[in-house]
Amino acid sequence: MSNVSADLIWEIARLQNAYLVKRPSSGGVQFSRDPLNLTNLHSRKYAGFVNDKAIGVTGGEKGAVVVTSKKAGSANKPAAGVIKTTFNGSKSGRKIYKAIANQTAKSHYRGDLRQAAVARASAIRASQRPVKPSPEPKLRGNAAKKAAAKSE
Amino acid sequence: MASRPTVTILGADGKATGATEVLPKVFGAPIRPDIVKHVHTGMAKNKRQPYSVSEKAGHQTSAESWGTGRAVARIPRVSGGGTHRAGQAAFGNMCRSGRMFAPTKIWRKWHVKVNQNQKRFATASALAASAVAPLLMARGHQVSTVPEVPLVVDSAAFAAATKTAGAVSLLKAVGAGEDVAKVKASKKLRAGKGKLRGRRHRQRRGPLVVYSPSADNKEIVQGFRNIPGVETSPVDALNLLQLAPGGHLGRFVIWTSAAIKELDSVYESKKGFFLPSNVVAQADLTRLINSSEIQSVLRGPKGEAKTKRGHVQKKNPLKNKQVLLRLNPYAAAFAKEKLGEKKAEEGKPKKLPATFFEQLQE
Repeated sequence: MSNVSADLIWEIARLQNAYLVKRPSSGGVQFSRDPLNLTNLHSRKYAGFVNDKAIGVTGGEKGAVVVTSKKAGSANKPAAGVIKTTFNGSKSGRKIYKAIANQTAKSHYRGDLRQAAVARASAIRASQRPVKPSPEPKLRGNAAKKAAAKSE
Repeated sequence: MASRPTVTILGADGKATGATEVLPKVFGAPIRPDIVKHVHTGMAKNKRQPYSVSEKAGHQTSAESWGTGRAVARIPRVSGGGTHRAGQAAFGNMCRSGRMFAPTKIWRKWHVKVNQNQKRFATASALAASAVAPLLMARGHQVSTVPEVPLVVDSAAFAAATKTAGAVSLLKAVGAGEDVAKVKASKKLRAGKGKLRGRRHRQRRGPLVVYSPSADNKEIVQGFRNIPGVETSPVDALNLLQLAPGGHLGRFVIWTSAAIKELDSVYESKKGFFLPSNVVAQADLTRLINSSEIQSVLRGPKGEAKTKRGHVQKKNPLKNKQVLLRLNPYAAAFAKEKLGEKKAEEGKPKKLPATFFEQLQE
């Protein structure tokens, strides 16, 4: 409908929406729980539910990265208006980032989101890696060694 | 408007029946959160019941002031003896078991009159917002499985919805199951005294089913009424309190095909009311700015075209040939001709002929 646009939706939903998280105790930060928000910040640029075109990056199973994007022009068809692409966890990071960068920017989709999309994918990959066990603390000084020997 | 947008009608299985319906004109009404908010605040007050403290509260004692001279405040004090209460201050709002400050009265102004055309404007606006999927999401409805917004379901599919089991399966089939599940999970005990006053729980609002009282089977109201969060409304009595709960636009509405067919005539029958029109025909600012009508009357940008470079490393033109060429295009020819390696012209300049000087001194 011609009476609606992303600009209008943002003005309506800017002050209050279901995704908005406000924390006055943290200096009034405003975050967003929108799955199509790449930085989790409440802002016009990253508000995925507002914009006709938006990219969301989430983690999948077995180290996979799932990229969701909105189909421009089918805003009123929520079930069909979202495309999911899954990048397998066994794929190398560079290839995934390249693919995401191409998907966001190459076809003039949302070039301004390229960096944020790749950064989010990278952060998700990093979080999916197994945590390295920290080395056991070395005993420093004779007193400590003696004490350890005694307790055994 | 050359072509008016249409909406597909879903069947009982949640798939498109193939039939479509022209979207009623109300959905083109301007979306005005300010008006909706204002009208909602007024309308929400009209269901209140008067309350007040007892007229006698704090005054059921024969206290009198002791006057001056007894080194106590002149507030009325309870007379008599033999009990702790004797001699205590009474009546004042600052006193224990005294009267409250400005005791509430049942004749407070409980109701707010809202002009009918304002109410109609707000309802039209809320209806228009109910057809915008991002606004439903912003309100918190789970619509990711909904095939289309506004969601119109064939009236014939509601035949099974006269029973709650049938109604639930219909909601699931058309993609509204997630929203109902969300409502179900959201039921919480209310904070405060409301628990004792018949408002024990609080929960989200789910979809609103709008039916046609003339064409649809009215028993669907019974079918839907026990599903948490789901409300029903006849199409000729749409209520802003249901269409924009809390004054927030974007209620998830499920229409029967008969109801959406009737909606235009419902608005035509409202005497003295014309659907509000939009101030700007095109709400998309980017499209407006980039339109040829606007671009054609704009002055071009001043100055030469140049790309703004962010933080870049300064290149040394003596070492970087490309930067050197940008500053001194002649450097290419200079290097090609190897002019830097050529010696200056050999020998001394030739002497000028004597006739030259003669002519000069004439």
